[in-house]
Amino acid sequence: MDKIAKQLKDDAARIDVQISDELDRRILASLQGVTPEIPATDTARQRPATFWWASSLTGVAAALLIVAMINSQSQTETVPALAPEISPVIVATIPTIDWKAESAMLTRPLQQELEDLQEDLKKAEEKVKREIGL
Amino acid sequence: MTDELQLIDAAKAGSVSAFADLVKSYRVRLLRFLLTRCASYADAEDAVQDTLIAAYRYLYSYDPRWRFSTWLYRIAIRKAQKLRSENVVEIGDLSDEEADPLLHCIAASDTANLWVSARRVLNDDVFTATWLRYAEDMSINDISKALDRSDSWTKVNLLRARRALETEMNRENNGSKVYG
Repeated sequence: MDKIAKQLKDDAARIDVQISDELDRRILASLQGVTPEIPATDTARQRPATFWWASSLTGVAAALLIVAMINSQSQTETVPALAPEISPVIVATIPTIDWKAESAMLTRPLQQELEDLQEDLKKAEEKVKREIGL
Repeated sequence: MTDELQLIDAAKAGSVSAFADLVKSYRVRLLRFLLTRCASYADAEDAVQDTLIAAYRYLYSYDPRWRFSTWLYRIAIRKAQKLRSENVVEIGDLSDEEADPLLHCIAASDTANLWVSARRVLNDDVFTATWLRYAEDMSINDISKALDRSDSWTKVNLLRARRALETEMNRENNGSKVYG
């Protein structure tokens, strides 16, 4: 131990104090009047085992009830009316469009890709127009 | 299991006598420490009492990984801080033996007490760290826990405190400035 550490230790011991009988009695009396606090987690641990069973059963019962309700609703649901059939005459007048345009590979800068796509679209339009006689 | 842990378990179960046995050896040490932090002997005694009551009440929160003394000092430090914040008298203003409880308790000594100088040149936290290190032989880690500081802070400030106290020891004139 070096000089300063030794002096600090010795000087601390030279501070002359003592616990008086009055203080001793006061401390004991205060302690008698104090109830140690119980951590909040302990109260959770003190719950009876049946608490957890009851919670689980309630959860299962609620789940079963929901399943039963959903099933009963789906059974009473009315069958939706069928969509009206499209007249074959109309179908015949609508020309079928043969979309054979190939999608551009995105290997070049986006601006160029866009131009290619627009060109493809233009060609496809022209082809459609030719086919329908415009 | 050590005797201390057995006493702690008994005290947790509500045994006042076990708690009284547990803290018996700490009471004088706490009073000595609190005396350096309080403006009067009565305040120091009150702080000891408050510390022990708080320790008993919240004993459930004591983590056995800590040394019990570290935990107890942590409470004492808080009590001392609270008392000082409430007290209008600054310890630095207590210059005569009659008013200063620390000077009163070392008046019989024929040489100067370094803790009186320490109290003058170190700030509160650094003084406490120095006290815990040299009067209580606490480890750096325990001091850091007690003060809620980092280990680095404790190491650096203990070194600075030593230098300040060495300077103080060697100084012949009385002009000094507050450290920290």
